Amino acid sequence: MHPADVMIKVMASQIKDGEVFLHGLASPMPALAMFLAKLTHAPNMVYLAVAEGIDPDPEKFKLYPSSADPRHAAGCIGIGELAEAFDLAAKGKVDGMFLGGAQIDKHANINLTCIGSYDKPKVKLPGGAAAAYLSPIVKKLVLWTTNHSKRTFVEKLDFKTGIGYEKGKDKKVVVVSNMAVFEAEESGLRLISVHPGFSIDDVLSEMSFEPVVDGYSTTQPPSDEEMKIIQRLDPENVRYLEFKK
Amino acid sequence: MKDKLVDLDAAVDLVESGDTLTFSGVSMVRKPMAFIAKLIQSGKKDFTIIDREPGMDFDILIAAGCVKCARAAMVGFELFGLAPNVRRAVQEGEIQFIEETCGAVVNGLRAGAMGLPFLPVKGIIGTDLVELHEKLGNWKIINDPFGGGEIVAVKAIVPDVAVIHVQKADRCGNASLEGSRFEDVYKAKAAKKLIITAEEIVPTDYFKENPERNTIPYCYTTAVVHVPKGAYPTACPNYYPPDYEEVLRYLKMCREGKVKEYIDEFIKRW
Repeated sequence: MHPADVMIKVMASQIKDGEVFLHGLASPMPALAMFLAKLTHAPNMVYLAVAEGIDPDPEKFKLYPSSADPRHAAGCIGIGELAEAFDLAAKGKVDGMFLGGAQIDKHANINLTCIGSYDKPKVKLPGGAAAAYLSPIVKKLVLWTTNHSKRTFVEKLDFKTGIGYEKGKDKKVVVVSNMAVFEAEESGLRLISVHPGFSIDDVLSEMSFEPVVDGYSTTQPPSDEEMKIIQRLDPENVRYLEFKK
Repeated sequence: MKDKLVDLDAAVDLVESGDTLTFSGVSMVRKPMAFIAKLIQSGKKDFTIIDREPGMDFDILIAAGCVKCARAAMVGFELFGLAPNVRRAVQEGEIQFIEETCGAVVNGLRAGAMGLPFLPVKGIIGTDLVELHEKLGNWKIINDPFGGGEIVAVKAIVPDVAVIHVQKADRCGNASLEGSRFEDVYKAKAAKKLIITAEEIVPTDYFKENPERNTIPYCYTTAVVHVPKGAYPTACPNYYPPDYEEVLRYLKMCREGKVKEYIDEFIKRW
């Protein structure tokens, strides 16, 4: 099974029925995860997205390379400006947000800004988008990376674009990589599960810091029924593009 | 209401070198590409460009050497990769790049639209963006005067010119945004001058029959231009989707060092 499909299932399982979730640009897996949740265990979740359609119709949905593609809003119940979704988040009423991370540290802080220094970057990355704004104010942060490696899981970020674990706050931070699932806690990044096809050594040898490991399980992959849903929403396998870099 | 319909060249005349500009849309949706083509052709330069999440609009203007400073929360081509010309220009120190965050840039534009000096914005504190913006004078951490603790004050963003591509407008500058609006209404109201480019010019009765259609009323508008396919190769909802193949062709030509060739072709497209 492709790691994208395992990651989509993990992301979907973070969404509880009735919760409000938001995804931004460059987010094919979060979009599919939100639909998968809505079509299975969370029919009343509220779907907000950068294409600005509130609750787009999954029957009319097909995944395209730009998350803002207007066709992603097909069959929606209304237009919700992203600015309005940000207002809702400021009121504490956005439950969860998905964010990528070019670098992730052991507290699940993220860098999406630059490799090297800000003033003279070795690589100027696309930028944090809503990370700095939303990461401190949502209740659930789901971070993902398709590149589980020492370059991603770093000891020290080159730039802190978004905030992960915050002590004493009602905030859950989950990290979903192409190999494993973690949750941030005070002592660091706790390993929750390892995806089928990967070993604990694969996971640990590709990280620059040691995560917290005691009990962990094998990540639950999508069922046949769930795979059918994912394939119907993304018949052209756009979700795999992110893995080809 | 006066007739404000002009051609693209006359609209470009409203822009001066050194201006701060903002454009409609995000990523590969409703970017005013026709206007940008004519702007490049005009030879004007030293622009500061500001937007939430731009894409090819920023990249091609930077490739053409028209930009001094770019401000955005994210700029790129999503799954197709980094913005090659933005990346090169920033890494080589050719332009200044100021990384924004979505909630701040949106509310900076709202403050501009509301005529306020700043708006308080939640989140952000604890990230490295704060130091950067405090140094530049765009943000300041203040204390909520009503006892709510520290909060970021984001200075109003008042662009010299906003260029907004819409589906429909009349000759007087009433404009209808269909589907996703992004921050375009705030951009339109924040800017000192507003240029509307439209897929279709409709009679004023189109708005009188159904005033809800009027998302940007004429009193904000400086000039209107009729430009079918004016957002191409980005999308214009209800008219055409993004042309992904064309975007990929642009990126391929950039990779092959042929961006000047692409620009030559691009400025002749309209």
